[in-house]
Amino acid sequence: MSAPAPTAAPPPATRRVSRALLATRMPSAATAALLVVAVTASALMQHNFFTPYGLTSNFATILPVATIAVAQTIVVLAGGIDLSIGTIVTLSSVVAVQLMDGDPGRVPLALAAGLATGAACGLLNGLVVAVLRLQPIVATFASSYVFGGLALLVLPTPGGTVPAEITGGYRQVIALLLPVPAVLLLVLWLAWRLLRAHRIGQYLYAVGGNAGASYASAVPVARVRVFSYTAGGTVAALAGIALLANSGSGDPFIGNELTLGSIAALVIGGTRLSGGAGGAGGAILGAIVLTLIQNLVFFAGVPTNARELVNGAIIIVAIALAGLLTARGGTSDGGRGRS
Amino acid sequence: MGSFPHRYRAVALAAGALLITTSACSTPDAGGGGGDGAAAEGPFTIGVSNGFVGSEWREQMLTTLEEAFATYQEEGVVDDLVVESADVDVNGQIQQIRNLVNSGVDAIIVNPNSPTALNEVFAEAAEQGIEIIAIDQAVSSEHVTNVVIDQGEWAAISARWLAEEVGEGGRIIAVNGVDGHPANEARWEGASAVFDEAGVEVVANDFADWDQATGQQVTQNLLASHPDVDGVFVQDGMALGAFQALEAEGLTDEVAITGEARVGFMKRWAEQREADPDYSSIGVPNPPSGSVSALHIAVRLLQGEEFAPDTLDGNTLYLPMPETVTDENFDERFAEVEGEADTYAVDHAITPEEADAYFQ
Repeated sequence: MSAPAPTAAPPPATRRVSRALLATRMPSAATAALLVVAVTASALMQHNFFTPYGLTSNFATILPVATIAVAQTIVVLAGGIDLSIGTIVTLSSVVAVQLMDGDPGRVPLALAAGLATGAACGLLNGLVVAVLRLQPIVATFASSYVFGGLALLVLPTPGGTVPAEITGGYRQVIALLLPVPAVLLLVLWLAWRLLRAHRIGQYLYAVGGNAGASYASAVPVARVRVFSYTAGGTVAALAGIALLANSGSGDPFIGNELTLGSIAALVIGGTRLSGGAGGAGGAILGAIVLTLIQNLVFFAGVPTNARELVNGAIIIVAIALAGLLTARGGTSDGGRGRS
Repeated sequence: MGSFPHRYRAVALAAGALLITTSACSTPDAGGGGGDGAAAEGPFTIGVSNGFVGSEWREQMLTTLEEAFATYQEEGVVDDLVVESADVDVNGQIQQIRNLVNSGVDAIIVNPNSPTALNEVFAEAAEQGIEIIAIDQAVSSEHVTNVVIDQGEWAAISARWLAEEVGEGGRIIAVNGVDGHPANEARWEGASAVFDEAGVEVVANDFADWDQATGQQVTQNLLASHPDVDGVFVQDGMALGAFQALEAEGLTDEVAITGEARVGFMKRWAEQREADPDYSSIGVPNPPSGSVSALHIAVRLLQGEEFAPDTLDGNTLYLPMPETVTDENFDERFAEVEGEADTYAVDHAITPEEADAYFQ
């Protein structure tokens, strides 16, 4: 709506793309600082942090968490929230693993079906929220039981095999120091930048920032909301596939507990929970910080019974820090993330 | 949007570059820490991954392991025990195991949350030269040695007793652990085979998460909808709760119930015996100290010993089933554990000498 693009003469397309990629709104200073601290501390405490296995194992753990955080960010930016996102991850992954069942030839079909499942779940959430006008937090809480229950019907007990091509490929290291999961993370971020540069990306921010004003400016608010849930569901399905590559097998509960982590990651990454400000880049960094904090508590030698307590306390501090600085940045930004 | 083709071109370029670089990629080599293969000298570092807390059974599993570890520590065989224990899902346990690998342990003793979904991370650990032993429930990974009791047989022992009690045509309700959990599935498979063969009808089957309070609640609900049953099949960790539900309905004399070899239940069992000498129950121990048995095996594997032929069934070493607590031996068995807390489970671990017998 307030984006200048429609009135200004459109710059050459390639320049627009590169500008969109380069002029990334830096996640708040707090997120960057947290990342630096977490990486430095990890490098000091985990002696093999920068070895191929150290990097691969960390990124392999981070990718699913970061992907689901991106999925939640897309929903939250447009003013919604999806408490069913973990069960969408689960349902998509069990559909995919049932269809591939260890046969590399069936992988494309299985991946397509997994993505379609995620999109369909998101679409359902979107319709319930935008058309039936139910409160997102309650509607998606309810649908989480629907999706979780469906996952149990599709795969009643843990099982199914992911072809070795996928699990092996997921653990590859390119040029000695670049793990495949890190590359996939980068691809995910680039895809987000493309969406962000597109008109629908602008609409997400507009609807989340001020739905009434957006409606008055002829933004199709309901359709944007439905889109945000559908896109979120599709990205959640990607997280489900990453989980399959990570674990090598299906599990009817595999993603369910990731929902709250996805919200924590995006808040640390500087996305406003009420919508309209933030971005997926921050969510990815937030997921990295969250995972590294969990590892650090272990490597620091905190006694095992105290680890959850310490972990929780550190996350509260991290969220508070991110929140403080984002709140300030948010007002100076006019409440809307500049691209 | 005329700019689309250009965007696609950029994406295609990126994808192409990615494909080219992928051809130059490799799996990370061993060397992150861990043993040097056969016949290492030690002292060894042992990691533990436990994915479920808040059950006294798991607490006992870890405590007894720490005690046995201290003995090896005094002998200089091992140095550190690194414990990862938290309520985690499969992802969390994958992260636990990666942390153990990255901290340089020589062996990992794991109580797995999934029979299959940890296989890939086990492969990662094995590639780093780490010995892996699964306890409590078996996993399918070829890189892991399972050191477990036969859960199917464990449940079948109770089931045979119950089938005898209720007789052919008897009707029972079942209170199981966690739906889909590997140990639960193996147990129910073992038990229901017995019931099928004996002509016992399972009129309802529900899950109470191996928790006494939930066990009581679930049993109460099942009894409300099926008031005329002859017996209750209930797994350990929930039998005391189920017994209390029977008690609340005044059914303890009429309805047979499989018990558990835990002090809390055994106290009630003793009371019942005093009131009614004919009262009968059964308690099959599920020893938490399987962790100790696993430690004995792990140390010997790290020292480069090899299993004697026929020790393993596939990749599984079945531990001997501990002696069942029955009406006949009850007084003696109860006297051994009477002083322990109610949550204490009758325990058993193989001795180091018995462990030696598994090796060449």
